[in-house]
Amino acid sequence: MMANPNLQGTSVAAQPGSGEIRLVNVTKQFGNSYAVKDINLTIPHGSYCCLLGPSGCGKTTILRMIAGHETPTSGEIYIGDQMVVGKPPVERGTAMMFQSYALFPHLTIQDNVAFYLKMRGVGKEERRQRALEMLQRVQLDHLKDRMPAQLSGGQQQRVALARSLITNPKVLLLDEPLSALDEFLRLKMRGELKSLQNELGITFVHVTHTQPEAIALADMVVVMDTGRIDQADTANIIFDKPKTPYVARFMGGQNVLTGTVEKSGNGVLKLKAADGSIYETAHAASSAAAGSPLSVAVRRDRVSLKKGRGNGVNAVNSIAGIVDATEYQGSYVKVTINVASDVFVANVSDSAYFAEPVDTGDPVVANWKAEDVHVLSKVDSGVAADHGH
Amino acid sequence: MSASPSYGSRPWTFYVLAALFTLFVIFLYGPMIAVLILSFQGPSASLVFPLRDPSLMWFHELFSPRRTGDVAGAFNRSLPLALIVMFLTVLISVTAGFAFRRRFRGSTAIFYMAIASLIVPGLVLSIGILVTFRYLGLTASWWGSALGAHLSWALPFGLLIMFAVLGRLNPSYEEAAHDLGASRWQTVKDVVVPIVFPGMIAVALFGFTLSYDEFPRSWLTVGTKNTLPLEIWTMTTNVTSPALYALGTVTTIVSFAVIALALSSILIIQRKRSRGK
Repeated sequence: MMANPNLQGTSVAAQPGSGEIRLVNVTKQFGNSYAVKDINLTIPHGSYCCLLGPSGCGKTTILRMIAGHETPTSGEIYIGDQMVVGKPPVERGTAMMFQSYALFPHLTIQDNVAFYLKMRGVGKEERRQRALEMLQRVQLDHLKDRMPAQLSGGQQQRVALARSLITNPKVLLLDEPLSALDEFLRLKMRGELKSLQNELGITFVHVTHTQPEAIALADMVVVMDTGRIDQADTANIIFDKPKTPYVARFMGGQNVLTGTVEKSGNGVLKLKAADGSIYETAHAASSAAAGSPLSVAVRRDRVSLKKGRGNGVNAVNSIAGIVDATEYQGSYVKVTINVASDVFVANVSDSAYFAEPVDTGDPVVANWKAEDVHVLSKVDSGVAADHGH
Repeated sequence: MSASPSYGSRPWTFYVLAALFTLFVIFLYGPMIAVLILSFQGPSASLVFPLRDPSLMWFHELFSPRRTGDVAGAFNRSLPLALIVMFLTVLISVTAGFAFRRRFRGSTAIFYMAIASLIVPGLVLSIGILVTFRYLGLTASWWGSALGAHLSWALPFGLLIMFAVLGRLNPSYEEAAHDLGASRWQTVKDVVVPIVFPGMIAVALFGFTLSYDEFPRSWLTVGTKNTLPLEIWTMTTNVTSPALYALGTVTTIVSFAVIALALSSILIIQRKRSRGK
């Protein structure tokens, strides 16, 4: 997207130092309710970090506190080695791209991009020239005299990017940047954001409620639940080895099963569910006391299906039920199965599915291997909404 | 044979409503047009149709105080008064609008108190102001007591408009400006005011016309010298010439000129925004 990654050349005030962000015991209260509570998080310099969670989980509040548009009730925020609480955005070295882009409707896009320079007292000729250079980098220089209302969503987003980047930030903060775009543009801009971050090498913090977006973009995914961070890890670990039932369910792609520990040791955990089913793991990292409740997760795409009612005996690592729905997804088929008190989802590869198709109402038995059972650190407290894809 | 398919022909209700609307427009503008035409009445000085020997004589008559009273003087009071009311209404409404954006203690009470002055009958308010001024030993004048009375009428309208305009103003514009290093004053000057400027013109328009036309609140508050609506009222009781119509025409033209000026400046701003420079 950008021909010349050397944005440092247009620096107004040199902002040396790292774009590492550290949040230490950060709490934000609105009245009596906590938007975020006692958050600790370190986002490494130069990483692409996605804050992921449902609406109201506090992810935007965190972004706005880093940006300086919200002041934490308590705690400390560091950018590089500078404690930034109470400082204006420009002194923090952050720039924020707003969800609606917030392009000034009364200014041409060139004057929008030049706004930061105008505020710093840069002369008209010089700031227009530099804004034009920045517009060339986002390939919109030919539209410099247009008003924001005349641009498409994707173009508006590029102007917003240019307007943010002219401040030469160490950290770029993006509040749901892709939510206003249609599906096609969303995927295109997603790719452009990622390559832009690669070129600039600065820290990107991106708020989203869309799991595939976070997984596709982020070096670091921070999954949030009402005011808390549930897990902060690489996208791969978040998806493959979620820590909690909440993360497993929110990311989709996992089935969460709960039972009581029967046997534990030598890396093997044996679990008995309420309905008598037995689940076994092959290599559990931790052991658990016999008799304590425990939840495990099984990836949907590691499950195989067989038509039929089972043999009445509870086989290990299997669950029987009735097919509730099938959804063709191209490379796989999502089969939703009603089991005793819950739903169980199997993502069956298209070849396996069409070799032995199942339909709504068919009895099926799902099976998986002990190696594919992943132990969660918390006991499932209830069935959350299915965010699966 | 089944009913023929309809390709969007108009239902009969369209014609009923169109007729109703035509009547409404005639009722609205007919009298104004009649006054306009009769203000060109000839020396016959007839106050009714037909129009004979059209001339401009009654417009000349209008500005000779000898016969028709002090029209020029009244205009020279009404115009500055309307401009002062306009200026103060914009200033107070905009700043109050900003204050009300961040809800403060008692803001609701203040809002309802401001709106309540719309309900108080103007004549009663006029009497109240006069009595209060007498009690305080102050002299009623168009630039004092009448100004206050007019503001009590124009301000609630201005406030309501500014609330609507600022309510629609996305706070992220201000945050974006802050993010880009603008000070509070720069944010107001370079972002907020330009964005809400069309709304400010609307407030100015209300401030001007409400004051320029105001009768009941002026009645006892202008002191010894009349404003234009009071002068016209006086004339209707003692002038029996088409000069009255000429006066109506002139004042209407001033009102229309102000409205046209305001609307065209809003249009120009909007066109500039949607088309680029």
